[in-house]
Amino acid sequence: MSRLSRRLLLRGGGACLALPLLESVGAAKSSPAREAPYAIFFRQACGIASEQTTSEIGPEPERFWPRGVGKLDPRALEGRALDELSRHAGRLLVVKGVNMTDFDYADGHARGALQGLTASGPLVPKMGGNSEAGGESIDHRIGRELNPGGRDSLFQYVGPTDGWLGGACISYRGPGERRAPIRRPRQAYELVTGGAAQISDGDFTARAKEAKSVNDLVRTQMQALLGRAELSMADRQRLDLHFSAIRDLERSICRLPTEGEKRLLDGASYAESTRGEDVMRLARLHMDVAALAVACGYTRSVAIQIGNGNDGSSCYLDSNTGKRMENYHFVSHRRRSHDGSGDVIQGSDVLHHQVDRYFAQTFGYLLDRLSERTNADGSSLLDAGVSVWYNDHGDGPAHGTSNCPFVLAGSAGGFFKQGACLRLNSGGANHQRMLNTIGSAVGLRNRAGEHLDDFGDPSLSKGLLPELMRSA
Amino acid sequence: MPPSPANRPRSERGALSRLPAIFASSLAVLGLGCILRQPKSPPAEAKRAAPAVATQFARLNHVEWANSVRDLFQIDTSLELERTLRPDPLPAGSAFSSHAATLNIDDALWRDYQRAALEIAEKVSADPTILARLAPPLDNTDPTLRARRFIEDLGGQMHRRPLSEEQIAGYLELFQAGRGDPGGRPAFSAGVRLVLQALLQSPHFLYRVEAGKPADGKLWLDTYELASRLSYAVWDSTPDRQLLGRALSGELEAKDVFAAEALRLLEDGRARATSSLFHGQLFERERVLHAAPSPARFAKLSEGFGAAAARESELFLEHLIFERNAGFRALLSSNESFVNAELAGVYGLDGTFDSNFSKVELDPARRRGLLSRVAFLASHATSLDPDPIHRGVFVARRLLCMNLIAPGNLPPVPPQNGRTNREAVAAHTEREGSGCAVCHKRTINPLGFPFEMFDAVGAYRTEDAGLPVDTHSVVRLDGELVEVRDAAALADALAKSPQAHSCYARHLLEFMYGRPVTARDTELLNELGKRSAESDLSVKQLIVELLSSAEFRTIDLGDLK
Repeated sequence: MSRLSRRLLLRGGGACLALPLLESVGAAKSSPAREAPYAIFFRQACGIASEQTTSEIGPEPERFWPRGVGKLDPRALEGRALDELSRHAGRLLVVKGVNMTDFDYADGHARGALQGLTASGPLVPKMGGNSEAGGESIDHRIGRELNPGGRDSLFQYVGPTDGWLGGACISYRGPGERRAPIRRPRQAYELVTGGAAQISDGDFTARAKEAKSVNDLVRTQMQALLGRAELSMADRQRLDLHFSAIRDLERSICRLPTEGEKRLLDGASYAESTRGEDVMRLARLHMDVAALAVACGYTRSVAIQIGNGNDGSSCYLDSNTGKRMENYHFVSHRRRSHDGSGDVIQGSDVLHHQVDRYFAQTFGYLLDRLSERTNADGSSLLDAGVSVWYNDHGDGPAHGTSNCPFVLAGSAGGFFKQGACLRLNSGGANHQRMLNTIGSAVGLRNRAGEHLDDFGDPSLSKGLLPELMRSA
Repeated sequence: MPPSPANRPRSERGALSRLPAIFASSLAVLGLGCILRQPKSPPAEAKRAAPAVATQFARLNHVEWANSVRDLFQIDTSLELERTLRPDPLPAGSAFSSHAATLNIDDALWRDYQRAALEIAEKVSADPTILARLAPPLDNTDPTLRARRFIEDLGGQMHRRPLSEEQIAGYLELFQAGRGDPGGRPAFSAGVRLVLQALLQSPHFLYRVEAGKPADGKLWLDTYELASRLSYAVWDSTPDRQLLGRALSGELEAKDVFAAEALRLLEDGRARATSSLFHGQLFERERVLHAAPSPARFAKLSEGFGAAAARESELFLEHLIFERNAGFRALLSSNESFVNAELAGVYGLDGTFDSNFSKVELDPARRRGLLSRVAFLASHATSLDPDPIHRGVFVARRLLCMNLIAPGNLPPVPPQNGRTNREAVAAHTEREGSGCAVCHKRTINPLGFPFEMFDAVGAYRTEDAGLPVDTHSVVRLDGELVEVRDAAALADALAKSPQAHSCYARHLLEFMYGRPVTARDTELLNELGKRSAESDLSVKQLIVELLSSAEFRTIDLGDLK
């Protein structure tokens, strides 16, 4: 493992280091200061296969949560979907009892998907599939406040551009202002590396030079527009966003190895596939870029959304039979039909459990990538930040707001407890406190300079979840 | 009402969630309890700042961007490049992807524009034929003069107004920089290449910049801004030289000249593509591509069934609007159509058909307008049975502009068990005192049951489960109860309804203005709806009327935030 400071290397510039993933940005601490913490959010829809009784299947046994609360060890995870993460058990904080608010979205999927990272109610109530969230999402807030130069955080998406809730739907700039996702990992990679992939140094230098001359002219035109006195606030923000996006090309030393770059290119061949294995392959490519992005300090937050509003297109393989399942949304409802009135899908509780495992495996892949780097003080990139696998809902058919899974990995530089499963005891909605706690761990503060405690819908109570914090 | 289809496209959205104030006004007239009303005391979660409705910087959407590149350079790589632009999020509550205030340029899109500009500039500057067209050689051998002419001409087209001297100087400086460091390319071509990259990334190309002049609480567009609005509304593309000439001369200020130009643009083939895009999104043409009729029950259907149905719908609309110069009334009542052998089988037509589409006349007693065609009927059905609920919801939302409350997770319709489909749906949704009945009994089911004369793929039927189908219904149109005997009678009633015509005009306005409908538009829409219904305005006339309104020439300052 390399032990050079990733910041030091980034400052160094110069040669491109085509080392294995993240090794080019390993680091020896030149100061006691910790690496800047980050957050990566990995979203799953439609709840989990946990203990419940459904009208379709009857009693369903527990297949997700650890056996009891307290210390996490392989025995606590055995037989549960989370045992896919056993190798990282010491870095996990599995949180039970996270309850979202029953906002009046008039649709369970809208309520979960749009609230998940915003902790906000709808812009307009009762709009169902037409809903928009009424607030900014935490991933965007982190990027807006903490990213260098206010650079956009990464919002990556695997799924169709349409369908329920219009496809990508978890990341918001503000009330009703949905962010556009990056669907192609290759595109995200170009952003992070400054377009340096697969181009010679000489060509890159020439391209950077002419791009700068073009940018200078465009900036002049933009400044003339921004200088107009009569601009509305919204238009000023629109132009500011554009202006800040005009960046001169700088060859980043952060690169994936050649093989990794090739995989990104190959990803285009299955970018539109709805086969579950392709969905997860694409998610992993996005994770390659996400890990690189936080390692290089490109962004302090990443959101990765899998599936549209109800993940109604991904069709996974039944590992027991080798046959293709119905789409995940139907599996989660335990029924088969284009209008939800279809037959019961026999064994769909087991199928849902398999999908949970696929998500766990993919989350584990992210943790593996983040773990590959070790700092001089022994901490890993995984531990420098927090990676969050969360779900829109607490369970399958009911798609309820209670007990929504939040699986945290990494202590964010010592902020979070590790190697434990906790059950929150606060009754009622506390999900907004979870987002405040994650935001605080990454470095967000309230107006008084204290830990962020007022993120989310104004109607919700303020506060954090101190029981998750190591200092508590 | 059962849970919605898993993959129901967002384009089904018919509500205008950004405009809660509009709900109350339009729904109070309809008096329907199931329709969204603005609460007297909005809960805390409703008190949120909605995004701006309008902008002075309408970013080209990706279709507009691609069409503009195609028309400016006459190259056909634009569509391929368009697909590489990161997708825009769809605006909530709209069928359309053209709301300018929701479109912005973030890091990812900027990078895409940059890459696309480089590719286009490479291609254009390296092609002697294209280069000669864009920058004709001069007798005078001074390359700077030739470059200046090129910048003035192409720059004027891409900024969509004459460049200022300062702007010309900026581009010329760039030309000289490229020419001075050609990197192995011919010097003039290298200069052009750099200028093209800048023009393609200029905010004056990527946005329709609308400064306007303030008066009476509005910004009034100048003739260049108006020319661009008109061109992008009708063509989804950049104004041509004639239109820019009308802007330069100031003639476009005159209403008759403006209307004549609007009509001229509508006669151009580019208008057909825009019409196809609009109607495809409004009527969800692609939804039928995802229809999955049961192979066991409909064994004769091929995999191309959905594509054929979508094509029929497209040909039908183009024929009526551009060949027949027909109005909205005909869209809902014409029995003309275009079928291939497969669709001819579904429609029960005699004769010889093949894979090509032939123009036919369907039985007017059964097939009247879009709502009697396979594309609508098969896309609102389960794999086995017609779906009167979603057929009714579609008519309520898309044809009558009703804003139905979206339900939460609801129990599915139970099996028919010897009953007709209608009986099973009615028993499940119309139970007295249930929450479902409020919407279903008065609005949704009456608009859906007349279509029970068509099965899950759109074939005519008289029996269901061995029982006669019941297509009788009483619907509420324009505040009045109207009795209809079947789908053909419902189509006739809708074709005469000012409410339906006004709703169609509303969709057109939203699409062509690139913004949500506001309360200010109500008077215009009501008037046009009435005229369209009573005088059978052609769709083209209706569009010209919409574009000729004062609202099209202005930005309301209140819509800017």
